[in-house]
Amino acid sequence: MQAHVDGLAWQQPRWRLLVQFLGSMRLAVSLLVLLAIASVIGTILSQQQPYQNYAMQFGPFWFSVYRELGLYNVYRSLWYTAIVAFLVLSTATCVTRNSPRMLREMREFPIRQRDTVILGQDHWVRMATTLPMAQAQERILQVLRAAGYKPRVEQKDGDMAIAARKGRYHRLGYFLTHIAIVVICAAALYNADVPVKWAEWQGTLKPEQNFDLPLSKIPRTAWISQNNPAYRGIITLPEGQTANAVFELAGNGYLVQPLPFRIHLQSFHISYYSTGMPKDFTSRVVLYSPQGKVLKTGDVRVNHPMSYDGVYIYQSSFSDGGSLLHMKTYLLGASGAAPGELSGRVGQTLHAGNSGYAVDLKNFNLYNIVPKAAVGEKATPDHPTLNLGPSFTYIIHNPNGQAAEFKTYMTPMRRGGQGFFVQGYREALGDAYRYIYIPTGPNGSIGLFMDYLAALQSAARTGANASQAIFTETFQQVVARHAPGMSTTEQSHFLQASMQTLVQLHDYPMPFILSLSSFDHRWAAGLQVTKWPGTIVIYWGCVALVLGIFILFYIPQKRIWLRLRPRGQESGEVELLLGASADRNRLDFTKEFKRWTGTLEQALGVDHAEYKEQKDGQHTP
Amino acid sequence: MANTRLESWTESSPEPSWWAQWKLRDWAWFAGLSIAAGIILGLYGSSFGYWQFVVLAAWYAALLVAGLAWRPVQLATLGIVLPALFAVWLYSIGQTATNNILLRDVLQGYAAVMWMSALLLAATACYLFYLFSGRERVGQWATALTWAGVIMGFIGLGVRWRETYLGHPDWGHIPVSNLWEVLVLFCASTPLFYLYYEKRNEARALGAFVMPLVAAGVGFLLWLTFAQHMDRIEPLIPALQSFWMKLHVPMMFVGYANFTIASLIGLGYLLTERSRRRGSGMLLRVMPSSEVMDDVMYKAIALGFLFFTVATILGAVWAAKAWGGFWSWDPKETWALIVWLNYAGYLHARVVKGWRGTAMAWWSFMSLWVVSFCFLGVNMFLSGLHSYGKL
Ligand code: HEM
Repeated sequence: MQAHVDGLAWQQPRWRLLVQFLGSMRLAVSLLVLLAIASVIGTILSQQQPYQNYAMQFGPFWFSVYRELGLYNVYRSLWYTAIVAFLVLSTATCVTRNSPRMLREMREFPIRQRDTVILGQDHWVRMATTLPMAQAQERILQVLRAAGYKPRVEQKDGDMAIAARKGRYHRLGYFLTHIAIVVICAAALYNADVPVKWAEWQGTLKPEQNFDLPLSKIPRTAWISQNNPAYRGIITLPEGQTANAVFELAGNGYLVQPLPFRIHLQSFHISYYSTGMPKDFTSRVVLYSPQGKVLKTGDVRVNHPMSYDGVYIYQSSFSDGGSLLHMKTYLLGASGAAPGELSGRVGQTLHAGNSGYAVDLKNFNLYNIVPKAAVGEKATPDHPTLNLGPSFTYIIHNPNGQAAEFKTYMTPMRRGGQGFFVQGYREALGDAYRYIYIPTGPNGSIGLFMDYLAALQSAARTGANASQAIFTETFQQVVARHAPGMSTTEQSHFLQASMQTLVQLHDYPMPFILSLSSFDHRWAAGLQVTKWPGTIVIYWGCVALVLGIFILFYIPQKRIWLRLRPRGQESGEVELLLGASADRNRLDFTKEFKRWTGTLEQALGVDHAEYKEQKDGQHTP
Repeated sequence: MANTRLESWTESSPEPSWWAQWKLRDWAWFAGLSIAAGIILGLYGSSFGYWQFVVLAAWYAALLVAGLAWRPVQLATLGIVLPALFAVWLYSIGQTATNNILLRDVLQGYAAVMWMSALLLAATACYLFYLFSGRERVGQWATALTWAGVIMGFIGLGVRWRETYLGHPDWGHIPVSNLWEVLVLFCASTPLFYLYYEKRNEARALGAFVMPLVAAGVGFLLWLTFAQHMDRIEPLIPALQSFWMKLHVPMMFVGYANFTIASLIGLGYLLTERSRRRGSGMLLRVMPSSEVMDDVMYKAIALGFLFFTVATILGAVWAAKAWGGFWSWDPKETWALIVWLNYAGYLHARVVKGWRGTAMAWWSFMSLWVVSFCFLGVNMFLSGLHSYGKL
């Protein structure tokens, strides 16, 4: 098997040695294993994160070491690409070097073979028969045919050669697999926008680092040519807006790829299962020509992309597209004051009057069907989730520069007959949310509790001691003033709940609470746009790969050479030498060989046959 | 004496063409499959997209070939399909697991899987006992129990497929969509392939190495069931609503099953060789010869590699069709590539360099960790980066 690898002479020109090295099996196996090991890195270290995250994780020294090693985008790093390139080169060399020999072998099959070659096969047997040559030949052919071979005969100088083989096209498997690997890798390289990498490397393209620039302000050096043959970019498009370019992440920044059309997002829609899990995401999209003509209208759904002129548009993510939120602000402890009003769009920063407090509206979620455990509730197997309605997330900065993040749910949660307004907060981004639960009054708002809180604080200011009596008494006064309709059970539920809330409020970081009163929702769809002309080549490469593997595994080549010659003039005996090999599934072939050589012995009336000694002595019959 | 033998030798006729070797039951198998395919086409053909035809044809061809190559598949298919259809019929006439005792205790997807678990655990115990005692009868029991477990497992999956539609027609999906379901598939298909190698090589002692891992899989499955309640039927996230899943996942598991079998035979090989070096041990008494183990290892890896290649390609094509890129280096994809490269290395070392014996057994055995990490580890330790996890 190894002859083709080792068979070349030593004194070769340098390049022959290089070719020999590239096509060697040792290199191939090493590269396969090396590539497997190298691939692990990118799965341990999460890839293509913002550089700040890595800097925070590793500290400045290791951060820069890892950056130099390309570990933040391993699979596009120079050294990883080099290993792949080496493997491809090695495979290509291997195919080129082996082709002539294998093609010849496939085409030609010598019937006559020297004795040394026959004795060099995996199996051989020598025997002598008293049958006349012609009859012996007839029976041998019969036995071989019965075993499924199509033997051929050649007669010369009184001796006779018979040969047969199966699996002639076995070698085709080798070509198909290995050429497929080369083709697939080449096509993948083509699709991995080599021209862009080249321009980047040349310096004519420079990734832009500022992610907040509007499209019109992005410098021209970050724009890829419209004629780029292959690309894959993303765009986040709010409902009602139009774009004519997509973004490709590149290192720590991005590049802009102009599109041959404009994409307009008419609407974005999520449908839900009864459990509250999303069932489908659909973007209704219109494509316009640069001149404004409608080219195509349709839906882009997950698993159902839209195509136009070789460009594909995929539904890839979604986010808030700047929903308009109307909020109420409750100052903690401000007695009897009507709540303030605040309005703004997600993404904006609002200033609460001239108090010095600023509110960053981060996000809005239309539905929150959350696991009960997520808000500190006990889950039961039948009702593991809770519907908390819309929510919004925001960061409040106080005048001293401290900040905390909040997540407020619109729909109160019910627990034991009492409604609760759920509010999460955390003072550092990595922390888990802590929750406070504020009891809601008969009208479903937290106004009653705020009034109660204010009344308690003013009582404390007038010198009352924090006794059970004071709590109850103050509560009674507040109820009489603001919610006279409350039943006594409702009152006791509310009072009990309030006691816990008062404790929770001790750690609450800001002096006011925002609640959501109404909203005008607007989605943004994350669309991916790709153009990949090399795809069809990859498909055919894959077909060839699978077909080739199948042939290699399941159509082994089996070859038989047989020689019949009279043994001396007088004896009248005919001597037979038969050699056979299979290049896969040798164990099966050993059994097969044993089976039909046994039949052969019978057919030729042989008493004694000499078989090749097997090294382990196992297979000699 | 030679002459008497000569006279007695009658001409053997040339090997008959392959279908002439079919027995009656093979013809019945062929006819039955064809009729079943015809019925499916008649009932649903009008609503088929062209891919459904491909899927149907693939199943038809695969079952036909498997049934001819290994006849027990014929009976086993009947043993799976008939009870499963019966359960589906019971559901269709309004019976449920609460008012029908047969559904509740046997045929319901969940119940069948519990039966599978119990049977496979019992089979494992028998195989181990067989290894220690060498008693033939115990070995026969082990094989029979394994068959029963496999059949119950596939009944469970089949009935569960129907159950995903019950009550929520829009939830319906092939039951290979979460960890619990694929673990059932793993626990049912690994012993199935193992049984093939056992029968073909008359090598029952191998079960004592393969089945304990299956038993571990069953243990994990039971833990997921009782501690995590993962057996609940849930709807599919949008990214998984694609017929590609029907092809991609089951093929992946043909790969996993065969790789797993190969690694455990590798372990058996290593331990047997150790006994041989020491010149004693019960392993020498019951284990098949080293050549046979080496051969089964190679064959299992070859079959696994073929299916794993197809499955990975299908996954890439799915990704290209559905999300716009063949390959996004997500951890699962990357680990599939690692598994693939690892076995490509193994095959070259064995086939081209001609390595055999202990070194290859170690390679095969150590690959178990690579394969398990790809199957389970990625989901458990490296979550969060799946590009399709977002939707
Ligand atoms: C990504 C790279 C490669 C892959 C996936 C690959 C795949 C395969 C597969 C699946 C087989 C069949 C093994 C079997 O029959 O059991 C094979 C055989 C073979 N490979 Fe590769 N191979 C690769 C690279 C190479 C390289 C670089 C060489 C050159 C040194 C090479 C030389 C061979 C040879 C000589 C055979 C045996 C063919 C025969 O006996 O007919 N392969 N390869």
